Amino acid sequence: MILELRGIAKHWAIARTGERVVALESLSLDVAAGEFLIFLGPSGCGKSTLLQIIAGLERPSGGEMRAAARGADGRGRKLTSMVFQEYALFPWRTVLENVVFGPEVRKVPRAERDAAARRLIEMVHLGGFEHRYPHELSGGMRQRVALARALANDPEILLFDEPLAALDAQTRRVLQDELVRIWAETGKTFIYVTHSLQEAVLLGTRIVVMTARPGRIKQIVPVSLPRPRSLTHRGEAEMLERLDGLLADEIKQAMATDLGAPAAP
Amino acid sequence: MSAATARKVGSALFILVVWQLLVQTGKLNELFLPAPLSVLRAMWQMTLSGVLPWAVLVSLNRLMQGFVYGSIIGIVLGLIAGSIRWVEDIVDPWVAAVYPIPKSALFPLFLLWFGLGDPSKIVTIAVGVLFLVLVNTVTGVKSINPLLLKAAVDLGASRLQVFMKVILPGALPNIFTGLRLGAGMALILVFITEIEATKAGLGFLLWESFQLMETRNVFVGVVTFGLLGVAFTWGLQWIERVCCPWAQRS
Repeated sequence: MILELRGIAKHWAIARTGERVVALESLSLDVAAGEFLIFLGPSGCGKSTLLQIIAGLERPSGGEMRAAARGADGRGRKLTSMVFQEYALFPWRTVLENVVFGPEVRKVPRAERDAAARRLIEMVHLGGFEHRYPHELSGGMRQRVALARALANDPEILLFDEPLAALDAQTRRVLQDELVRIWAETGKTFIYVTHSLQEAVLLGTRIVVMTARPGRIKQIVPVSLPRPRSLTHRGEAEMLERLDGLLADEIKQAMATDLGAPAAP
Repeated sequence: MSAATARKVGSALFILVVWQLLVQTGKLNELFLPAPLSVLRAMWQMTLSGVLPWAVLVSLNRLMQGFVYGSIIGIVLGLIAGSIRWVEDIVDPWVAAVYPIPKSALFPLFLLWFGLGDPSKIVTIAVGVLFLVLVNTVTGVKSINPLLLKAAVDLGASRLQVFMKVILPGALPNIFTGLRLGAGMALILVFITEIEATKAGLGFLLWESFQLMETRNVFVGVVTFGLLGVAFTWGLQWIERVCCPWAQRS
């Protein structure tokens, strides 16, 4: 196991009303090395919060997280790197300068980090765009840069927070295939948050279906469909239907909570 | 030449020619409105005699010192106050209290404290620049997308690295806005502080010419101030282009 989550909980109070929000309620899960794990759930189910906790960007209110021992290279490599939905590229840095950010702050020698970054830029098919600024790139290209930047830090686990949600359908489809290719090429563990059933079916080796707030695991669905996958194949279509059934109630409940109606018992 | 450029040049030339003719035909009194060509001639003579270059140098020295000191303090304080809450709390009431005061109103106090020489003028200019740069720098830091700070931390940046590699470049466009406003303020203040208690500088030259009713020389001073302003703006734009190549204004 590369990561063990034990009873992870997260709650906070809304300062104005004093209302207590429970985003996550005692979530336990083992993540195996090299899997493509999907967290699927309605918006507001706490899946992004969970990702932030795994990334160490937020502290859980309860529970603990155990990570496998790191390959010690004395440079403080991080366990995880995050790819954000809104890319989060530094606008004042070129593509190359964005990609080297992680190694740069870890003081990897310039020649070494630049060479590695150029390899990754090739890997995400952005060769020739090294010296462009983010605002000179399309949304899909920006997300490729963000992916290369996360990979450049050479983490064990890549975290994805709905990375394709802001893109148009075509670009999304292309990048889904790219993600699968890069996942296979690098052999790294991918933890991927999405609310798209299709994405879950196309990408994952295991799908964790979450309940509406408070977020709990509703069911874990292993996906052993062969690749390349397509939603037009029968196996994929059946899986889609099954997930749809699992999620329908949760979405209904999430909507009801959003509209202020009392949650169903 | 494009039609737009032609209109602009035409407009400028037309006014200048009419003005020149009105003075030459005696319709306008040279005491109130000297002809453009005689202003130009006076400017040339004052340049040859060294009066004008000296005045410009004296003023420029005060201007640049005040601008540089004020900018540096404003930027450093702004970056720190923008990123550390308790520092902002300490700085905030002073900014709120001093910001609205016309900085020229502080000049008498600075004269009292720092004497009649250059320091009182430089301090006045520096204070005027400081607050504009400070306020804009704080705005710049606050306007940085918090997601970028998160991304930097996620990639392993220490607090100092976040400051140097995210907060500083992120605030830079707003810092330049502050510097541009500060440059305008510095020009105003260098003139005001040179009206009194000095015997040198462009402001002194202009004001003395007025008191002697040498209107032509007053115009020379006005035009030179204009040229200084343009040069200052261009210089800042050039530095901004070099420092923020990603934020090209169209």
